[in-house]
Amino acid sequence: MNQRRRLLQSSLALGALHLFPQLSMAQAKRLVFATFTGSWEEAHRAVLVPAFRKANGNAEITLDPMLSVDQIAKVTAARNNPPIDVMLHDPGPALTAIGQDLVEPFPAAQSQHFKDLLPEAQEVTGPAIFFQVVGLTYNPEKIKTPPTSWRDLWKPEFKGRVGITTLNSTLGTGWLVEVAKMFGGSESNVEPGFKAINDLKPNLAAVASNPGALAALFQQGQIDISPGNFNAIQILKARGVPVEFVSPKEGAIAFKTTIHIVKNTPNKALAAALIEAAMSPEVQTQLMQSPYLIVPTNSKVKMEGEIAKVLAKDQAEMKQRFVFQDWKKINEQRASWIERFNREVRV
Amino acid sequence: MNPTLPVTAYPLRLAAPLAGFMVLFFVAPMLMLLWVSGYADPGMTQWGSLASWAKMFDAFGLGVLADTLWLGVQVTLLSLVLGYALAWTYLRLPPRLQPLVIFIVMLPLLTSVVVRTFAWIVILGRQGIVNAALLDLGWIDEPLKLLYTRSGLVVALANVQLPLMVLPLITALQRIDPNLADASASLGAGAWRTFLRVTVPLSLPGVVAGCLLTFAAAITAFISQSLIGGGQMLFMPMYLYQQASSLSNYPFAAAIGLTFLVAVLVCVSAFNALGRLSRGYAAA
Amino acid sequence: MAAGRRSDLSSLAFTGGMSLLALLTLVLLVAPTLVVVIVSFTDGFSLKFPPPGYSLRWYRELIDASQLHFAAWNSVQVALITTLLSVLLGVSGALAIARSPAASARVLDSLFMSPLVLPALAFGFAALMTFSAVGWTVSTTTLVIGHTVVCVPYVIRTTTAALAQMDPALLESSASLGASRLYTFRRVTLPLIRPGVLAGGFIAFMSSFDNVPVSLFLRDARTDMLPIRMWQDLEGRLDVTIAALSSVIVIVTLLMMVVMERAVGLSRRLRQ
Repeated sequence: MNQRRRLLQSSLALGALHLFPQLSMAQAKRLVFATFTGSWEEAHRAVLVPAFRKANGNAEITLDPMLSVDQIAKVTAARNNPPIDVMLHDPGPALTAIGQDLVEPFPAAQSQHFKDLLPEAQEVTGPAIFFQVVGLTYNPEKIKTPPTSWRDLWKPEFKGRVGITTLNSTLGTGWLVEVAKMFGGSESNVEPGFKAINDLKPNLAAVASNPGALAALFQQGQIDISPGNFNAIQILKARGVPVEFVSPKEGAIAFKTTIHIVKNTPNKALAAALIEAAMSPEVQTQLMQSPYLIVPTNSKVKMEGEIAKVLAKDQAEMKQRFVFQDWKKINEQRASWIERFNREVRV
Repeated sequence: MNPTLPVTAYPLRLAAPLAGFMVLFFVAPMLMLLWVSGYADPGMTQWGSLASWAKMFDAFGLGVLADTLWLGVQVTLLSLVLGYALAWTYLRLPPRLQPLVIFIVMLPLLTSVVVRTFAWIVILGRQGIVNAALLDLGWIDEPLKLLYTRSGLVVALANVQLPLMVLPLITALQRIDPNLADASASLGAGAWRTFLRVTVPLSLPGVVAGCLLTFAAAITAFISQSLIGGGQMLFMPMYLYQQASSLSNYPFAAAIGLTFLVAVLVCVSAFNALGRLSRGYAAA
Repeated sequence: MAAGRRSDLSSLAFTGGMSLLALLTLVLLVAPTLVVVIVSFTDGFSLKFPPPGYSLRWYRELIDASQLHFAAWNSVQVALITTLLSVLLGVSGALAIARSPAASARVLDSLFMSPLVLPALAFGFAALMTFSAVGWTVSTTTLVIGHTVVCVPYVIRTTTAALAQMDPALLESSASLGASRLYTFRRVTLPLIRPGVLAGGFIAFMSSFDNVPVSLFLRDARTDMLPIRMWQDLEGRLDVTIAALSSVIVIVTLLMMVVMERAVGLSRRLRQ
């Protein structure tokens, strides 16, 4: 029995090598997957990593959680010998990564699951493996009436209880754009957004450096309301932390999240295998369940449970109810916004 | 073997490996910092410009530098008060208790700074000890915001760096001849007077040494500043890290780094000069 | 007599005040460690104090936390090699400059000790750029080199102190009895300075293991270091597993301190 399993494993490995004949047997370097910080890391560690290792002969993999923009910085700094093998990107940084020639196209032709993905998710530069959804997250024990709009964050009764993230995260930047739109601006004009954040200062309890830290702040009771990821709070809820998600009436923001092989990585085969595992219906179904509740992109996975109840019954409904942003426009100015935010939002 | 070298000394050549190592891996990087700061843009294409330096010395950058140094002063003062009391009392403890106190002082020094700082998050948090105690005593109705505040940061940093202050103070106080205190008392001086006029001046070299170490450690305490200070307070270490790591603006980061280095050097030299003066004063 | 009476009361008040402040300081020194250890036994998910209930679950989590093990093992390896290198370089350096009459010895002394006070973060960044410029990618080697620069001063300090305390008469008599320099070093000097060297080595080891500013720049995910991993986990998740890990680290450090105290009188050497 053991022998059969081993034979299966080695034949799988050989099969994988067959797909990528350039790879030599000597590549035993750890695969490094830069996933997002916080709930994504937890979800991937619990579901994706074991699935990947099972299918690839217990290959060594390290998760190096960091924000999208930081991944780009790290890879750009060492293009020829990248410290990361697989990147995960939000829409804005994905455009940057592709534009700066940092990604290796995914070998879609040899892939089993690629064609099962939703049409929007089938990108050869790097397929989309989930959608992120951003809305309002709040503590129902401290805030009895659920908030309904982004504007609620400015209510005087929330003095010293609001948390936000820096603009380094997609959550932060996306939220800024929505706030700007709310006050008459757009992706190209976020001036009203910055003014609004300035007005928010009396309510600000903390500025988190990444969305994971926001979750930690909820956990510790340091903040009671914030813009937040649908997923981040699911894991918190599973732990008994009182926190709820609600879509603001302006519309929850949705981000297509893509996974990419880094150019010049020595671990191309393993990287492709990881992406394969991430696209598989088994992994995506598991990630869709509690407590991760990650929105899937494989059409074979039926949206059910909490996601179908709270967000959308299927991807078509999602397209209707959610806001998608123009990241090409946002990218053009993001760096200057980040710098401005760092200067203006100081105690 | 050099025949004129006294038998108790060793040839300077022995220091060659270390000197070579330091020149290669310490001095060279510092020079590299200087070189890189000469670029104008993050892409590092045009050399020979002061643009990155100008960015460091604009109102914002100077503000960060000043704030960092001021943080150091606040932390050092608090540490001094607490540390002096501890050092003074230590010398009057029965010999059985002294090793225990030294251990308590030494342990934080050898424990990871992440661990020490993390503990303060638990103490200062909304659900932490201080708030729990205050709520229990009925002194407050709602938990106070202690984390991510300047005062919280100063208190936490002062404690994290306390061993650096206490150890030199103990050494310095031990060197003071106890007869001097007795003489002062027998001449009719009260305890306070003896303390202020005799003990403190004689311990000045230790005070300066402790303050130097605490100050230097407090202003470079990256982890504590970011975990307890939070995202809204920006100090030099985080400024450097943000530019170098997140934004990959190496020339600007180099300018920040060098400014920081020079600032610390200036402060250390000032302290050293003070130290030399105080040694003369104490010996007089 | 009246003056004596007065000074009695005031000295009592003074001593009382100082002692109280000292006690507060001691509590502040001990509290963080105690708090971390207590919180690590919580059965809840947050760092609430006092914990709602007690359990060993986070220690069980620690056993499964393979990424933390990986980082811990890396940190230990780097710290060991760093200590070895620091002792070799530091002792030879200290020997050369400790009793040297030359003026250049003072200059060398300042050079060797400067990493102690200069911001290690700036140095770490500078080192990264230098290594990149010559084409060395980040690896265990670069980490060890970076750590050695900031750790070797500790070895130099304790070795120099030990050399200073050594009675020169011993060396002179050994030489006058006809012993060669090397023999004197092996049989006289080395045994006498060994406790100092060991103490310095211990501090260098702990300093390397705990190091954050240099590791921040000179490492990547493949050479992950424990303090950095802990800091990132704290920033991103505030996982209580970190509390369990912290307790373990504290206990191990405490044990090592006791051993070193017995062996080489660590506390004395730290105060020099």
